[in-house]
Amino acid sequence: MKNDHIDDLLLEGDEASMRAAGEHAAGCAECAATLAAWNEISGTARSLRATWQSDMLWPRIERALREERRGRSRPQFWQIAAAIALTISLGAGVWRVVHVRSEEAAFDRAILRRSALDQAEQAEKAHLQAINELEKLAEPKLEEPESPLMGSYKEKLALLDDAIADCETNIARNRQNAHLRRQLLAMYSEKQKTLQDVLREDSNVGKQ
Amino acid sequence: MLAVHFPTAVTTEIQKPGASDEDRRLAAACAAGESGAFEAIYRTFGERMKSIALHHLGNVADAEDAVQEAFLKVHRAASTYSGEAAFSTWVYRILVNTCYDVLRRRKRRREEALNEEEGVVFEWKADTVDDAKRLTLRKLLADLPEQKRTVFTLFEIEGMSHAEIASILGISEGNSKWILFATKKQLKERWNTNQ
Repeated sequence: MKNDHIDDLLLEGDEASMRAAGEHAAGCAECAATLAAWNEISGTARSLRATWQSDMLWPRIERALREERRGRSRPQFWQIAAAIALTISLGAGVWRVVHVRSEEAAFDRAILRRSALDQAEQAEKAHLQAINELEKLAEPKLEEPESPLMGSYKEKLALLDDAIADCETNIARNRQNAHLRRQLLAMYSEKQKTLQDVLREDSNVGKQ
Repeated sequence: MLAVHFPTAVTTEIQKPGASDEDRRLAAACAAGESGAFEAIYRTFGERMKSIALHHLGNVADAEDAVQEAFLKVHRAASTYSGEAAFSTWVYRILVNTCYDVLRRRKRRREEALNEEEGVVFEWKADTVDDAKRLTLRKLLADLPEQKRTVFTLFEIEGMSHAEIASILGISEGNSKWILFATKKQLKERWNTNQ
């Protein structure tokens, strides 16, 4: 048997092959030396299987596994950071939208307020013009009152003019004060009614 | 000197000892994070895992770290266990790859490939060969390339079959035989000079 044949047997390494190699080595010194070294290495290797006490290894592994499980269920730092960043971005976006909308709403409200004010002032002007017309008609009668009643009307109109003047001064300071405007309107109406009474009284006096 | 030649009958297919129902149950329990499943694996395979890691890494501390790391990897990957191989084979594959990672990290750090046991004493099994021979063999193993060391360790030291080794390393059974043969020839050449 040549050396490469014992190599084939050693390569296979099973029980039958090793027995055949042993039989051959009995009559071949070179193969016997090879087989002896081969078996010596295998024998030494079998004795290398290591065992040692490691009481702390399993508790260590168990703890590591527990931490790993906890780590999986707990969000990682970057996840928290990403969540915070996302929340801030969303918050900023929402704030921006709300802010822009409230600015737009405030702008709209201001426009509406100004528009309403303009309308009120225009109505006041028309009312005042109508009262001025009445005042011109009633003026000759009031200049020289012919009766005590007419004198009373004159005093009442003077008081109303003073009150109207005060009210207009206050409104000039705060044009958007609706309460003052309602007061002014009431005084104008009262003045209008008084002037109409003056003119009616005049015609009644004429009839009498 | 013996001539190196390719084997005459190399089995090319990879033999994969299939998974049993128990393997699948164990994998499912690991995927679910059941502590009891991991403890069962440790009780069953722990000693062999430690021994395999020791013969790759050369010291107890690194071996235990590798075993722990392998358990964490089992936990992370248990849901991907396909059942093509036995669960134990899958666990050993993870362990061997973990050992390779440690060795590569060491290499990067320009450390010694393998150290002595760093003062940690462990009990060798009773045997017929003396300590000098064991020391020689351990030194020779330390100089071997990764795959040769793994095949030799799993077959000669841990007593695994070529079918199991083939499945762990993802090679054919014939290739496992050939690697073992080449490794032993290499060791034999140096064996006498190192005695």
